Amino acid sequence: MYQQASWMITLLFSVFVILIFVTVLLKSGKRVDYGKIQTKGYFIRSVWFVVVFSVMLAATYFTLQDLPFEGAEAEETPVDVQVTAIQFGFDVSLDTLKVGDYAAFHVTSKDVNHGFGLFDDQLTIVAQTQAMPEYTNTVYYKFTKPGTYTILCMEYCGMAHHLMKREIKVTE
Amino acid sequence: MTTTLHVAIDSKTKKAVVFPLVFSGVILLLMMIFGVVMLLGQGKLIELNPIMFYKIMTIHGTGMIGVSALAGSCIIWYFLKQYVPLNTAVFRLNVYLFLVGVAMVLVGIFAYDFAGAWTFLYPLPAQSGGMWGKTGAALYLGGMLVIGTGFLILLLEAARAIIKQYGSLATSLGWPQILGKEKGFGPPPTVVASTMVCIVDIIALITGAALLSMSLINVFVPSFTIDPLLAKNLTYAFGHVFANSIIYMGVIVVYELLPRYTGRPWKSNKIFLIAWNMSTLFTLIVYPHHLLMDFVMPKWMIVMGQVLSYMNGLPVLVVTAFGALMIVYRSGIKWDVASSFLYLSMFGWVIGVVPAIIDATIVINHVMHNTKWVPGHFHMYMGLGACAMILGFMYYLTRMEGGRIDNKLDYLTLWLYILAFLGLSGSFLFSGKSSAPRRWAEHFPEWIPADVVAAFFGTFVMITFLLFLVRFISYSSNIGSKINQSDDIRPSTHG
Ligand code: HEM
Ligand SMILES: [Cu+2]
Repeated sequence: MYQQASWMITLLFSVFVILIFVTVLLKSGKRVDYGKIQTKGYFIRSVWFVVVFSVMLAATYFTLQDLPFEGAEAEETPVDVQVTAIQFGFDVSLDTLKVGDYAAFHVTSKDVNHGFGLFDDQLTIVAQTQAMPEYTNTVYYKFTKPGTYTILCMEYCGMAHHLMKREIKVTE
Repeated sequence: MTTTLHVAIDSKTKKAVVFPLVFSGVILLLMMIFGVVMLLGQGKLIELNPIMFYKIMTIHGTGMIGVSALAGSCIIWYFLKQYVPLNTAVFRLNVYLFLVGVAMVLVGIFAYDFAGAWTFLYPLPAQSGGMWGKTGAALYLGGMLVIGTGFLILLLEAARAIIKQYGSLATSLGWPQILGKEKGFGPPPTVVASTMVCIVDIIALITGAALLSMSLINVFVPSFTIDPLLAKNLTYAFGHVFANSIIYMGVIVVYELLPRYTGRPWKSNKIFLIAWNMSTLFTLIVYPHHLLMDFVMPKWMIVMGQVLSYMNGLPVLVVTAFGALMIVYRSGIKWDVASSFLYLSMFGWVIGVVPAIIDATIVINHVMHNTKWVPGHFHMYMGLGACAMILGFMYYLTRMEGGRIDNKLDYLTLWLYILAFLGLSGSFLFSGKSSAPRRWAEHFPEWIPADVVAAFFGTFVMITFLLFLVRFISYSSNIGSKINQSDDIRPSTHG
């Protein structure tokens, strides 16, 4: 969902930027006095600044409501899953979960930096965090659909980085 | 108003930039070929052994960032020389150290199998999982240290010269004007931008040197360890800042030349100065947006990572690119290939900022971090932004100093380059949207079609770049020897 939104926003904005640059390019030919353009330009710039700033403010406000590391511990008791990454695989303390389970993945690494990426059966990332030596990152995910989920490595860790894989079954 | 496209500096300085530019161009081309090879591998169009893939990935990242910075340093040097006296020997020293460093890096990678990626994230160099040993890691890290030292010396020299002329870096960043102590415009844009680059890069390079030294020790004395989270912070404080500074070096050519092409001044007024002060500060402190998925980081740092990354987009979106549009709008500019590249670079920078800002949003980063979305955005602004600045500079030099005349093929390749680079970075973004992780030697079948498309566009980028390079090299030997093209690019003054 966030992936799709990012893609659409990027496309729309790109079209907007292309239109602006092409318009100015097409209107670069006939010379007029710069003073007039500056007066008008600085006004447009103020409006543009207010628009960009407001969009950023709104985006900040709304997106900070849903932080992935703020597990709603209070709402539900999470099912704890310990995940340990090592070159080149993942150890998990639990590999079958149920739909409706609210999982807390406690992720760490035994050697170098790895990444914990949780993919659903459509191969879409649904959650991730870093797997770091000496530290434990916790990421929360509520399973709403059954299926086979796969943990893949998201931080380059050497020659078999792309082969690090661990499946998790989620049953009805 | 009469303007001239010529830059009033001595021919020694003009000649000094030729070799590093040719060298950067050749390496850029070579790295592009490597880029295409990686895509052919990911797209299963060729058989590419993962070990080779990761070696190529390491040299592609290192080489691209390294030579674009080298070319960027040519831009700074060339234009800053108009305002402050700089020691050309220091510039040469950086080029030599760069060559030595590159040689070490190449041997480390190709003879001793180092493939720790250009971010060499501690403790990977010392714990390769069986792929490379101490020698490879030492050569790579040592080579990077040599390259970094060269840049550090170069920028210290630039900072020294600026301070001597303007009194302090605060003055050359326009603080007197911002604080209202002095009326009128601040120092020339080139001086302001160079000051920013000096400040952020000197800090980044010292951080990098500390990190590289500690990693080197760790390779030989495994009992000497660093806190991995600290190391990660240092890595991005160095890598993010240094990579970012390239476009701030490059933009100097736009500040210098677009006003000359359009006959309109680009002055450092108060807003301009504030924007550059913002960029200086933000570039230094936004790096935690690389650590948004490290939930052990303090929460306030993660949230600031998002907020500051948003704010960091403001100077370019509202001031720099907007200023370029204003200068060009109804200016009567007579376009040539060089000025087209400069205009393109503003476009490339702006269009690359948006996917970057989106990815700096924590909830989005949660599903986009370390996917191909990330290379997608930076290829856009490196390829269409930074490289366009470098190419604009090259085309300007051969036109004004080398006696080259623009031809139809130049324009054709320019347009092809734009389309191909948009296609290339667009397919990376698409892969990222489809959850394909970055830095994976082999992709699942679902992700392969986008790799094939990217390989197709990448091939076109490579071919067009080859043509630019041939044009540059064939005229480059004239640069600095007074074969001057007449100044007929001045805009018409009527109307
Ligand atoms: C023909 C043009 C190019 C092609 C085909 C190309 C291709 C690629 C590919 C396939 C990757 C690896 C993506 C992955 O993680 O799966 C990559 C990474 C990268 N590229 Fe390019 N690239 C091109 C131009 C550039 C340019 C112009 C720059 C910068 C000036 C650049 C800088 C980088 C960097 C810094 C990385 C990251 C390496 C890493 O992840 O360690 N590339 N490129
Ligand atoms: Cu990995």
